[in-house]
Amino acid sequence: MRSSAPPQSRFRPRARLERAVSAWARSRQGDDQAPLTLRSRRIYILPTRTGLVAAALLFVMLLAGLNYENNLALLLSFLLSGVALVSMYDCHRTLSGLQISSAQVESAFAHTHGELLLAFHNTGETARRSLRLRVSAVPPKLFELAPRSTSVVRAHYQAQARGRQRIDRLHLSSNAPLGLFRAWTWLHLPLQALIYPAPVRVRALPPPLGLPQRSERERRLTGDEEWAWLRTFRDSDPLRRVAWKAYARGAPLMVAHYDAPAGARRVLSLAPLHDLPLESALSQLADWVLECERRGESYALELPGRSVPAGHGLAQRRHCLEALALYETP
Amino acid sequence: MSSSSAELAETATPISISAQRWVLAGLLGAVLLNLDHTAAWCVPVALGGGAWRLWAAQHGSRLMRRTARLVVVVVLTLAVLLSFRTLNGVDAGASLLVAMATLKLMETQQLRDWLIVLGASLFLLLAACLDAQTLWRMPLYAAELWLLCTVLYALGAGASTPPPALLLRGSARSLLLALPFALLLFLCFPRLSGSLWSVPREDEAVTGLGEEMSPGSISQLSQSDEPALRVRFEGELPPLAERYWRGPVLHRFDGVTWRRVVGQHGAPPTLEFAGRSYRYEVTLEPNKHGVLIALELPRGIPEQPSIYATFDYQIMSAKALNGASSYRLESFPEHRSLDGLDPGVRRLDLALPNGRNPRSVALAQSLRASASDDRAYVKAVLDYLEHGGFEYTLTPPRLGANSIDDLLFNTHEGFCGHYASAFATLMRAGGIPARVVTGYLGGEWNRFGGYLLIRQSNAHAWTEVWLDGMGWVRIDPTAVVAPDALHRDLDDVLAGMGVSGSGIKTLPWLIATLQAWQAVNAWWQDEFIDFNMSKQMHLLGALGLKDRDLESLVTLLAAGATLWLSLLAWRGRQRSAALPRDILSRSWRALERALTRAAAPRAPHEGPIAYSERVAGERPDLAATLRPLARHYARLRYGAGGSAAQLQRFRRAVRFFTARLRR
Repeated sequence: MRSSAPPQSRFRPRARLERAVSAWARSRQGDDQAPLTLRSRRIYILPTRTGLVAAALLFVMLLAGLNYENNLALLLSFLLSGVALVSMYDCHRTLSGLQISSAQVESAFAHTHGELLLAFHNTGETARRSLRLRVSAVPPKLFELAPRSTSVVRAHYQAQARGRQRIDRLHLSSNAPLGLFRAWTWLHLPLQALIYPAPVRVRALPPPLGLPQRSERERRLTGDEEWAWLRTFRDSDPLRRVAWKAYARGAPLMVAHYDAPAGARRVLSLAPLHDLPLESALSQLADWVLECERRGESYALELPGRSVPAGHGLAQRRHCLEALALYETP
Repeated sequence: MSSSSAELAETATPISISAQRWVLAGLLGAVLLNLDHTAAWCVPVALGGGAWRLWAAQHGSRLMRRTARLVVVVVLTLAVLLSFRTLNGVDAGASLLVAMATLKLMETQQLRDWLIVLGASLFLLLAACLDAQTLWRMPLYAAELWLLCTVLYALGAGASTPPPALLLRGSARSLLLALPFALLLFLCFPRLSGSLWSVPREDEAVTGLGEEMSPGSISQLSQSDEPALRVRFEGELPPLAERYWRGPVLHRFDGVTWRRVVGQHGAPPTLEFAGRSYRYEVTLEPNKHGVLIALELPRGIPEQPSIYATFDYQIMSAKALNGASSYRLESFPEHRSLDGLDPGVRRLDLALPNGRNPRSVALAQSLRASASDDRAYVKAVLDYLEHGGFEYTLTPPRLGANSIDDLLFNTHEGFCGHYASAFATLMRAGGIPARVVTGYLGGEWNRFGGYLLIRQSNAHAWTEVWLDGMGWVRIDPTAVVAPDALHRDLDDVLAGMGVSGSGIKTLPWLIATLQAWQAVNAWWQDEFIDFNMSKQMHLLGALGLKDRDLESLVTLLAAGATLWLSLLAWRGRQRSAALPRDILSRSWRALERALTRAAAPRAPHEGPIAYSERVAGERPDLAATLRPLARHYARLRYGAGGSAAQLQRFRRAVRFFTARLRR
């Protein structure tokens, strides 16, 4: 289990402060569970940098009014201060009462950006603007919610190393309506991402079992054993395997099916990769899984203690990658 | 805690063209409000800069280079220096602000830059407020404030600028919400007297009374309609003939110009007052001479440390009268000096320039010789002026170095200053101490405001002469020369209002409208522009607070601000707790709440039937009532819907059920 915070931020004082304050917030508000409504107790608010500059300018205006003993200038600075304070309440209200009806995280390859899906429900009569959802150091997702609406917001998180990764803190904030204040809350949802090994190609895809080993060149010359038959096109078939020549002759859309001959199947295993370090070997397996999927071939995965029977398609891909992700992890 | 890089990234985002247009409109409005006191080039420069920026935004052209910007900075700063000879003060500052905001447009790309332009616009609005506070400008200021708030909303909305109507509504709403807070602060914020730092003030061109009087060098008396003072009387007004408003007293005469004396010449005189008195409150417009104008002659002076009376009974303020000041007085037209004339003052008020006005001096000596006593001499001189063929005119010919000789023997034309000057000279030449008093005569009654308005055009000059046994006696030679001319202002109300044409006199409604407008203006001046510490204390009294001090003012401020803030918060809660309003949902929620207390909360995935089944499993005693209720609800909610009667029945059933649960 790893936290989603990048390691280098551990030494930055601001990040440390944020971590400390959010830990304190977590201790007082507890962990969150998916359908939840944001209440005032957990919403924090502070002026932004723009807000501080605006406060300084208002103070100068006040001084000018006092110094020139000018009531009109005083009234102007009072009105503007009032507007700023009203905006503080409006900013708080942008988060207050907002409902988060579900949250889930999608798996990702290691060291890429994964996706996080949050469903927001705005029961209020007014739009909620300038909302920002941020997961650790990844650039935040900006969005807004129409009045009385539900929408799913996709944000990114940074996938770390292979294995399970807990995303234990989301930062939801808004500086609406004027950008003078920023209200925020920390969400501690039970989000756990499965991080697949990053696909890295070191070696070519091994040939299917049950056939004599032949070089790629030889296979291409004969071209016989993999090309099995044509079958009718299905929506999920890749376009580059459509038999365009047949189609041009007036035949219906057909795809070339490169099924291995009976008895021959691809079994992906660590055996041919025994000379590589484990993580590199797993990365190579992940690459082969993707390669098989791209070719539309059927494949099986055999790892010590875990095997996935032959098959192909999105479910097969997921099962294999999950097996790779969790191999020898606690 | 948001990371600073994210915040910086936000202020560095480019903004939409419609938001840019809002900023430009706001800036242009602010520049126009400062039209009359900034440099003449400000409006064209701002217009040009704005137009260029719009064009650049639409054509994606490159912004100005750094060196070009530097050149423009230098040129514009020099332009301000050339126009004002300084960079200090409101006028020069506002001009500089216009220049710099326009320049900012040239390099504006990011939100931060546009925010700076908005800030400059707000400060330009502030400069306009500092410059002029007349009532008719208020709607303009309010509109500009609304516009600038809208700009704030447009810039705050980020990349997607909402439509104008929405922005305008949003900013109007927050201004209205802010108004009670602003008014509270306005009423309760402690007004400290005196400036925090000294500010250069432009010498206001105050027409009317000045430090000195040289009637001979004026060929056209300006008839300024500016108000000089307003007076509210407690009780009756003095008759026309008694409305002499005493101002600066002039002693030194060099043949052309009458001047005040600098420094004290003894204590203020002891006076004996008699007859009826008039109590009144004066609101005095700013003036240069520093004299608090009073009806002749006040008993006592306003009790303020900076106010004192001089030997010639001017009420002086040690502080400059830059803002309007108000004070209360009681005056007695009948009064008498009890002291004798100080020898020094006698010398001062008998002095005449050597060798000047020889014919006048000769005339005085001959009249004096034939007069039996002082009073007879005064009467003889007045007779001379009355029957000497003198004319009253506001456009007299210029007089030479021997101005009195010129007037008496050549031109025979002049206004009050001429005759006061001539009379005082003749008195002094005849051995009677005399001084010229400047001030105002008359005043126009405003029935809407309930005050007497005295304008700069009511300015008048008369004399005071010392008669043994009587003390200082007021003598107004102009009243002898042209008795009708004196009250021309009272006869001709319209002329004073800048409306000419005799036909208008027959329109009473117009006069009434103009007077009403003046009264509103006067109210604005008194209650808003001149709102100060003493009025704050008065307000505390009106609120029934016993301790009229700073402390209770601040307490009131804190209490009011707390109330306002909690009202804002409460308002927010009302809005966010907006629940479904229909009877069915309300009843079901009530049922859910009751069941949550009695058994378990509904899981988010559970429908009403599944939930009721689960609860029925946990609490078999409730099953018999709960199951039909849930089914009923599901039918009403997800079926064809129920009639009003069915809904009411459901509500009653839920109430009955929850009441039973509670027991």
